Amino acid sequence: MPKLDHKDIIEAPGVLVLALIFLAVFVVIWFAHLKWLMDVWGVK
Amino acid sequence: MAIFRTDPLSGLKIEKSTENLVRWNLIAAFATLAVGGLLGLLVVLTRWPSVHLLPLDYYYRFLTLHGIDALLAWIIFFEIALVHFTSAAILGVRSYAPWLGWLAFALMLAGGAVINVIVLMGGADIMFTSYVPLKGSPMYYLGVILFAVGALLGFIVFFINIAMAKRDGGFKRTLPLGSFGMLAASIIAVLTLAHGAAIMVPTWLWSMDILGSIDPAAYRLVFWGLGHPSQQINVSAMVAVWYMTSAFVVGGKPVNEKLSRTAFVLYILFINVASEHHLLVDPVLSTWHKIVNTSYMMHLAVLASMIHAFAIPASIEVALRKQGHTRGLFEWLKKAPWGNPAFSGTAISILLFGFLGGTTGVIFGTEQFNIIRHNTIAITGHFHSTVVAGTTLAFMGFTYLLIPFIFRREIIWKGFATIQPWIYGVGVALLSIGMMSAGSFGVPRRHYDITFSGAPFSFTFDPSIDLFLSMMGVGGLLAVAGGVLYICLAFGSIIWGKKIEQ
Repeated sequence: MPKLDHKDIIEAPGVLVLALIFLAVFVVIWFAHLKWLMDVWGVK
Repeated sequence: MAIFRTDPLSGLKIEKSTENLVRWNLIAAFATLAVGGLLGLLVVLTRWPSVHLLPLDYYYRFLTLHGIDALLAWIIFFEIALVHFTSAAILGVRSYAPWLGWLAFALMLAGGAVINVIVLMGGADIMFTSYVPLKGSPMYYLGVILFAVGALLGFIVFFINIAMAKRDGGFKRTLPLGSFGMLAASIIAVLTLAHGAAIMVPTWLWSMDILGSIDPAAYRLVFWGLGHPSQQINVSAMVAVWYMTSAFVVGGKPVNEKLSRTAFVLYILFINVASEHHLLVDPVLSTWHKIVNTSYMMHLAVLASMIHAFAIPASIEVALRKQGHTRGLFEWLKKAPWGNPAFSGTAISILLFGFLGGTTGVIFGTEQFNIIRHNTIAITGHFHSTVVAGTTLAFMGFTYLLIPFIFRREIIWKGFATIQPWIYGVGVALLSIGMMSAGSFGVPRRHYDITFSGAPFSFTFDPSIDLFLSMMGVGGLLAVAGGVLYICLAFGSIIWGKKIEQ
């Protein structure tokens, strides 16, 4: 069986990296937003 | 004998009756968007406390009609145009029941006209949801029924066309992905419109005092079988448009077509339960019923959207890499046709639908969060980021392909066309974020006067809502500017666009 190059496995590496960047940004925004909401709603 | 022409831009074989059905449904869509958008402008200028434009009765009247024209009429006329496009033009077959397509169009036009006239005359200031015991004029309900029956017939044309196309060799094993997406939309549409008939016909009889009463809990339950799933027709149609735009503009093909098809099937099976959150405080449904839908089933529909959200950009990347844009991770992104409004409209639609509409949909659809936010303007922000930033923007982008393909006219004012999706996208994003942020502070949705002037008890919101509602107002103005530009470009291109020689 011929050895596979990583490009044969991941056809769209740019979208994979973009997805990981967006995921990281989303997690940061999510927790910042949650903290803000807890302040707004007065959650102790 | 059907006469076909081969479109020089798309390579599609298009028959005259299909072309006319797509054309007239698109024209009706543009006209209703113009009216719905104008009413939206008046509504947003009233909800912006610094302006507070309309008097009380006109506010609720125009809000009712804004929902009907912008949420139902514009989008469903466009979807019926897509029905004809994907079940005949994409498959290279004729329209097998054009008379039914025209009957559907006539009923939708008549129903839409009746609703507009009755609401403007003050016969139905009962909002889009028209919850009983709020009672409108019988003619209002008749208009809704005519429009819904017309839409149902329009979607039935899809099934007739694909059944006959299969017989005539329009496709072999399965439909192309764009048509498959519209098949999912059409299946959801039949289920949705059946709910509409089941509740609107008795409500019409009740409005004429033929039926004594309509149970409000039963009304809400069945109405939301119409109200929310109708948005899932939009989601399926929007995703079908994303795939088609990727294919037409950059030659994109899904990385794994079976996975994309499976995601459409997930929509059919699970997305209708999204309407559960409208019923969370209704005592008639069990806790088990509420939790299983809002905490489990909903995520299977979300999974479908996430599959599409990665599959479409991946198809674009693969296509652009094949064109030679292979340097580094992101050369394809830099070299993507951002100046083409069909492409930019789709890209902005995917981004905003996913990151504003999708994330907030998951949060607001969850039982505990929904209880806190349901009647706040945060929900209005959510559905403007799905239906407007997502569906409307995707349809706007696809218009820049349909006008050359179907009307055989070039787009006028190419510079303005290039910036139109950006203006509209930024506007709707600001509008939605402003609404969602204000809603977090408890600002109610639909409400005419959030200062509660004349109320026996005083209440004031956190002062920061002024900033967020101003953001909403500015975003609304920007979105209206983008919308006006779109209407001018669409009608202007149809009338004055340079003819494309065959």
